[in-house]
Amino acid sequence: MSVLEIKSLTHTYTDGSPFINDAVSDVSFSVEKGEIIGIIGHTGSGKSTLVQHLNGLLKPTNGEILFEGENIWQKPKEIRKIRSKVGLVFQYPEYQLFEETVFADIAFGPKNMGLSGDELTRQVEEICRLIGIKEEYYSKSPFDLSGGEKRRVAIAGVMAMKPEVIIFDEPTAGLDPKGREEITEIIKAYRKSTGATVIIISHSMEDMAEIADKILVMNKGKLEMFDKTDKVFGEGSRLKEIGLNVPTVTKVFQKLNEMGIDVEKDVFTVSKAVEILTELKGRDNNA
Amino acid sequence: MDNIIEIKNATYSYTDEGISHIALNNISLSIKKGSFTVILGHNGSGKSTLAKLLNGLNTPSSGDIIVDGMNTRDEEKELEIKRKVGLVFQNPDNQLIASIVEEDVAFGPENLGLEPQKIRECVDEALKSVGMYEFRKSTPHKLSGGQKQRIAIAGIIAMSPDVLVLDEPTAMLDPKGRAEIISTLHFLNKEKNITVVLITHYMEEAENADRVIVMNDGEIINDGKPEDIFQNVKQLKEVGLDVPQTTELLYALKQIGFKVNTKALSIEDTAKEIAKALKL
Amino acid sequence: MLKDITIGQYYEGKSLLHRADPRMKIIWLIALIVLIFLAQNMYALSFAAISVIISLIISRVPLKMYLKNMKTILPILLFTAIINLFYGEGEVLFSIWKISITDGGVYRSVFMALRILLFILISSVLTYTTTPNDLTDAIESLLSPLKFIGLKTAVHTLAMMMTITLRFIPTLIEEAEKIMNAQKARGADLESGGLTKRVKALIPILVPLLISAVRRSYELAAAMECRCYNGGEGKTRMKKMRLSLIDLFLSLACIIIGAGIITLNILF
Repeated sequence: MSVLEIKSLTHTYTDGSPFINDAVSDVSFSVEKGEIIGIIGHTGSGKSTLVQHLNGLLKPTNGEILFEGENIWQKPKEIRKIRSKVGLVFQYPEYQLFEETVFADIAFGPKNMGLSGDELTRQVEEICRLIGIKEEYYSKSPFDLSGGEKRRVAIAGVMAMKPEVIIFDEPTAGLDPKGREEITEIIKAYRKSTGATVIIISHSMEDMAEIADKILVMNKGKLEMFDKTDKVFGEGSRLKEIGLNVPTVTKVFQKLNEMGIDVEKDVFTVSKAVEILTELKGRDNNA
Repeated sequence: MDNIIEIKNATYSYTDEGISHIALNNISLSIKKGSFTVILGHNGSGKSTLAKLLNGLNTPSSGDIIVDGMNTRDEEKELEIKRKVGLVFQNPDNQLIASIVEEDVAFGPENLGLEPQKIRECVDEALKSVGMYEFRKSTPHKLSGGQKQRIAIAGIIAMSPDVLVLDEPTAMLDPKGRAEIISTLHFLNKEKNITVVLITHYMEEAENADRVIVMNDGEIINDGKPEDIFQNVKQLKEVGLDVPQTTELLYALKQIGFKVNTKALSIEDTAKEIAKALKL
Repeated sequence: MLKDITIGQYYEGKSLLHRADPRMKIIWLIALIVLIFLAQNMYALSFAAISVIISLIISRVPLKMYLKNMKTILPILLFTAIINLFYGEGEVLFSIWKISITDGGVYRSVFMALRILLFILISSVLTYTTTPNDLTDAIESLLSPLKFIGLKTAVHTLAMMMTITLRFIPTLIEEAEKIMNAQKARGADLESGGLTKRVKALIPILVPLLISAVRRSYELAAAMECRCYNGGEGKTRMKKMRLSLIDLFLSLACIIIGAGIITLNILF
């Protein structure tokens, strides 16, 4: 059974609000347990609206969201429960920190879920260990940390609820390369230890190529493509048509193709590229 | 005079809770008039501190910053230096003052005390040069991040500066907004002859610069043409930076015996290098 | 929802009212509000209503923009109307239990509601036809006589504060919504519980919002300094406010409205 099933989800903003113009129309797909899904699309393509439905922050205008086979809006009063099962880390999550200590801030989510006492402490500590927040940080004020550290604490605040599905809206935005790598590492660590399903919205095709099993492409509120990563990046021209990019390596390979060298077009990581070119060179040399 | 900015042995330190930190350690550097310089460095490498010294927003703890012959310590020259060296920050939302685009752009020239007619000309020209003239009557919060950042740039351009210093102007933008900003900067550099100093940690943004400076722990650790700087893949990775994916690919290929020139940066040149190496 | 609040809602246009001097517009607004308040009977108030409607028409702002404004103040309007229904004397129209509605009450109810409606409409005319910056500039200019008693910086600072507030209201509203959603995603319960619980539930929203506002203000101050802001010393304006024939014409109209209302007050 799919962990999440989205059935003809439509969301329209009726109030003509100037802030969000991010409707979603008739989107259907399903996510299997343990997958890493990348969502790409322009600003305003409906990505953010889409993911806010998955944990019940927004209610569909039409269609339904099934979590482990059950409609999440079946009992509207219990919608808060779904938020611990489907965690959502917003863009720039460090701006939501508010507690006096790092520990208390990370504990906010699990406390809202009803945990207390030893159980709460254990769950918070477990997450901190997993993603490398050292004990000496527990009693520090989150506002005294560096940008990258704050982001890590904020992400821990969602992970501490132990969600089975965890969604990240541009988790590496604004960070330097080292900071980006660190965040990618903690996402991988969480998935490895919990087996959770991961959904990431990102603008970086290179990052997506590294981490995602499948890519979902949103365009003007519609689902444009949803397939294995190599298949999606193999459709360079289609992505280009809707104004999206492919990883730089993929572009190089497309260029090689144009130059008459017969290589696959769906190469999207440096390691894969090196592998293919080495093989090709060996063949040429032997010939 | 060829150099518009000269930094002479500048050190900047500050104390936080009794502990003294050195953000910049004895930096000397000259920026040539009309050049396009990119400063790379991870967060906390001192690059933002450097930006704030260039227009006198902060003064160095020791050493001097000379802008077009004027020392930023000279209080009488304060406004003149700020006019000549415009500074744009990361978050466009926190730089815009007025609720109407053209009124915001007029803020700088109004502070300079220009005549209304002259302000109008400066504002219109600045908006045209960043491609936002048609939005002059809009309100900033209805624009995209890239558009807002271009308004922030126009607000500086309207004061007719010689140098435009930008502190991570693209960090909060999506790829489209980022591309808009970078092409705007190259346009201003080439067509309006404005010296650009771009501080960033996106390597791709350095590809077309005249000069790249790499900073780490408050010091300059490398300085040169982009294609030369990116040769130091190991050094860059050690200081928490990266190289463009094209360089990474060529570098990896070279290590396993491909005869490629790792200086190629563009997609096309990279593909050509690979093709050449394959045919050998 | 929070985002329904709109302040400083300029509607672009080229009507007579858009082109009029913002300082004069503020004076007219004050004059008209006083006049509407002075209108003592239905005839005078109807005359004021017609004048307001004419203003709406010459503002060339679509009617639906004004109606949108009405929607937000509808509760206040209804409240005023209902409260006033029970005051007033005269012939009893009908009574329920101990409460009776009189024709005087109905009259009063309609009269008061209409008065508030006119206040709001005429104020909307000003905000729709004047950019927030023009408005603050005009206030600064109108208050400028205060500089003779040594309050020059105070006047400029006040105007600057208004400009910045208007600019940041939408930004902060948007931010408040984002923080609210982020805390909800962490299981925060903002909707249930008693008053104390609800107030406590606001802390996770207010603290980040406040911290963000402080951070923004630091960055804004640096940005303003970089744009040669010097406390308003020697500052000029791109748009010079100048009185024109339009202002003369509209002032005459204002006087006619005033004379009309006063005459009707006396006549009936």
